[in-house]
Amino acid sequence: MHGSLPRLLTALVFALALGPALVAAQPMSPSARAYHLSQQPQRVVLAQDNLMVRRTELGLSEREGFIPVHAFTNSEGVAVVRLDHTFEGHRVLGSQAIAKVPLGGSIRASTSKVMAGVQVEGAPTLSPETASAIALRHLDSKGPLKGAPRVERVVFPAQFLGGIATTVDPETGKVSVDRKLTVHARLSAPYVWAYEVRTHLQNVHDGPKALTYYIDARTGNILRINDALEHQAVTPSTGTGKGYYNGNVSLPTSLMLDSTYALYDPTRGTLPNPDLQNYTPDASGWSATGLQAWYEQNDAQGTNTYQSFLFQGNAGNAWGDGLPFTAYGMEGGANGQTAGVDALYAMAWTWDFYKNVLNLDGMDGKGTSVYAQVGMTGSYFRNNAYWDPYSMALGLGTGTPTGYGSFTEFDVIAHEMTHGVTATTVKFVNSAGYEEAGLNEATSDFFAQMVKAYASGSAGNTGATVPSTGADWRIGAGVGHGTPLRYLDKPSKDQRSADGWYDGLLYMDGHFSAGVLNRALYFLAHGASATPGADDFSPYLPQGMKGIGNDKAARIWFKTVTEKLYSGNMGTVTCLEARDQAIQSALELYGESAGGFGLDSLVSHAVENAFGAVNVGLNYAESSRTQVRFADWRNHDWIQRNHFSDIGYGHKQYLPVGERVNPRITVLNNPNTAVTWTLGGPSLYNGASALKGGVINADGSWTTPYTLGWYAITATSKADPNQFAEGRAFLVNLDTDGDNEQDAVDLGPIAFSWYLTNGLNPAHSMFNAPWVDDADVAAFVDAMKATWWVK
Amino acid sequence: MRKLGFLISGLLLSLALACGGGNSGGAPPAAPATGLAYTDPTGTGWRLVKDPASTPSRLLLNLVGPTALKTRGAGFNLKAPVSIRFGNFIESAWPIKDLGVYELWNTDPYPGDGSVAVGSDPLEPKLLAGGVKAGNVLTVGIFQKDRRASAKDSGHPLCQVALEFDASAGLKAGDALPLTITKSKHMAEDIGAFSMTPTAEMVRKANLVEMTIAVGALHAN
Repeated sequence: MHGSLPRLLTALVFALALGPALVAAQPMSPSARAYHLSQQPQRVVLAQDNLMVRRTELGLSEREGFIPVHAFTNSEGVAVVRLDHTFEGHRVLGSQAIAKVPLGGSIRASTSKVMAGVQVEGAPTLSPETASAIALRHLDSKGPLKGAPRVERVVFPAQFLGGIATTVDPETGKVSVDRKLTVHARLSAPYVWAYEVRTHLQNVHDGPKALTYYIDARTGNILRINDALEHQAVTPSTGTGKGYYNGNVSLPTSLMLDSTYALYDPTRGTLPNPDLQNYTPDASGWSATGLQAWYEQNDAQGTNTYQSFLFQGNAGNAWGDGLPFTAYGMEGGANGQTAGVDALYAMAWTWDFYKNVLNLDGMDGKGTSVYAQVGMTGSYFRNNAYWDPYSMALGLGTGTPTGYGSFTEFDVIAHEMTHGVTATTVKFVNSAGYEEAGLNEATSDFFAQMVKAYASGSAGNTGATVPSTGADWRIGAGVGHGTPLRYLDKPSKDQRSADGWYDGLLYMDGHFSAGVLNRALYFLAHGASATPGADDFSPYLPQGMKGIGNDKAARIWFKTVTEKLYSGNMGTVTCLEARDQAIQSALELYGESAGGFGLDSLVSHAVENAFGAVNVGLNYAESSRTQVRFADWRNHDWIQRNHFSDIGYGHKQYLPVGERVNPRITVLNNPNTAVTWTLGGPSLYNGASALKGGVINADGSWTTPYTLGWYAITATSKADPNQFAEGRAFLVNLDTDGDNEQDAVDLGPIAFSWYLTNGLNPAHSMFNAPWVDDADVAAFVDAMKATWWVK
Repeated sequence: MRKLGFLISGLLLSLALACGGGNSGGAPPAAPATGLAYTDPTGTGWRLVKDPASTPSRLLLNLVGPTALKTRGAGFNLKAPVSIRFGNFIESAWPIKDLGVYELWNTDPYPGDGSVAVGSDPLEPKLLAGGVKAGNVLTVGIFQKDRRASAKDSGHPLCQVALEFDASAGLKAGDALPLTITKSKHMAEDIGAFSMTPTAEMVRKANLVEMTIAVGALHAN
């Protein structure tokens, strides 16, 4: 086979032997790319064979295996294959291997997320139809489904039990508990059979929804609910503006068979859009394959009728009027077309960036077509943008006349389309409660900047590198009429986002915890200042650093999210893991050894410093750093392991109302373990997922308020004020016997109501709930131990 | 010399009175204490009784109830001078030790009343806890949480608390160390009743029962 390679490919083999660093600097020729793509199917088989042989080494039994679910060939000609772990042929949720198969090289597989020791007892007793019915009953749709639910039997690991879900109110920006998505389930076995039920709604009554349910296949309990729509949350403000972002541009359109034009680009995308293919083609020549801009038809009052139309029927192929959108009820006209122009223009650039620079064919690597729906209205979608992974579609809001502009700005669209890349590879979860929610949003923010820089270059839409200029490191500056939704250089300029990692970052909504990775990637590409007070100065890296440029930064992070990381929507990826894998990506791409692997380099040092500068890991050559942690003392006790809020809130502490308490905290790597307590925490800047109350006393203790609920508290190291942690305390009322004193005698009345369907008295519950269970017992004893502990 | 001897005797008397010893006979000052001595209370009601495993430096007191009185748990607050430290038990990590009479665990992983199924879990939380509140008040409680478990005869050592001698507190032999029960309640056999059909409703209410716990005399020695 090698002997028949043409001369060009022989040269390529040689180049690969010299190492990826050399290859990365030279775009692959079309013929070499074609060759590698032709080899991809065989390499997928090789990857699967390799992992099947390694099952014993990985701690898997003969009942387990791997099935390839995603593959693409990267810019180095390496096939990157994702293989789901199976048990008796059924997918194990959150367990996946990533294999890389180079030309003639040895297969390397990342197996850190493959779960060993999977055992599932018994067999499902529920039918898939019953599971589907349970999901639909919970979904409680008011209108018709977009299609029948898709049901798949899977193995569900208990560690992925659903927890508290939050949502952002688009009007107020407040974060609150999403009761529809919050799951209080328990499992006694570490793995159970479950059904994954994917539901999909888009109608006038329910709006767009894409909820995935995990139903216990033996009990019918709902174990977890994932919201698959990728939303871009914003905070309303007051302003004026215009909804025309890109000026006069040329657009990839189509001359249709009826001799009119449409905002439809048949040259980008080779597979039909999974949503549009349900529509029956008309005589215009339209198909579901290709980039395209659609609009939502609203009535004159701006209420969405949930009827969608392609922008078409344009006789002169001239679109839009460049003015802010005002034409409710006339979305297909010139004023409404303006949003379509902005959308399709940015979509084409984004598509080309991924294809030409990163060798990714479409968002999913398969060439699946993407479409945008502009003119979205309704309370949630008017001031918002989202990515729907099932439809491979963007939803873009109109904005409001006195508030935000249209959500069709260039970087907003590139941001949403990048969710399509992560949703088919690393599969980050997108809700608060997980650090990776911020990684998810930051990945979209960063690549939006890279697309912006790419579009600023002089190579048209064909260049294979990213210029180091052209990014403004802001998201949605036009949407906010000059006030960006987010900043990457100093995220906290929005008064909400985090500039660096701290224990408790996960409480933030992902759009704001994104600040950590956003700033790290900004530092990596652009550099950091050594001047205190400058926007690009970091107290964690006071000496500053030199950036490696946009192109290298983009390739390192793309390799990290597409080849290194995997969550499977289960929330397991941390900032620290992302940092470690980014260093590995840098070593593979730009390492100084002949093979490109293993030896550090200036580039890998830069990655260490960029992440160290946002308090994720250590800087290059740094030996130690103070850390403040809430998490270390709980040590997987009953609350952390069994309580419904084990996801994201695992290190919370219960404390009594109206008492003088000393919350628990751990200070590491510093002999001075003293902390300064403050009420509230950074997460409260973007919503009210917790309260703030009580008094910090002169001795550092906290006199808690008298109202039950979540309270945020922050501990800052006295030795290193740059190190702090935000924790959550749930204040409970221990006075179950009503004698106005909280003491151990109050344990008694819990027993009166324990596990009665309706308790005898709400006062018996730590949460003033009508029932009492072991969660109350655990909360009581935890609060007592934390408050009146005996040395 | 005679004059000097008178003065010294007078000084000793003054010191003895100032220390509260009340020994007007001019006895030598009390020696520093090295431990604790406890005399059990009399009677057959609720009481704190010294456990034989006590040592001079760690006094173990058992809560014992009236014989034949069926209860499901008890709790009390015990105030001690600040010169006494309340101790923890390693096995429970609390300042209260379960002596095995009460059934603290869920007796059945699947409650028969149609409520939520509870799995068998070695870390299952129990109604056993305690702490030391401001004013050196020990608060402890031990209760059966599962209403299906039968009430138990209280005439046995039910739980134990520990009082530790503090060598740095400056106690003298013979110093009285008054102990006071500031609150005490037990859960009677009757814990109310609950109807599942036709609707979930409370049939009979129940409350914790206030009680008196007799405490013995504690001295430093």
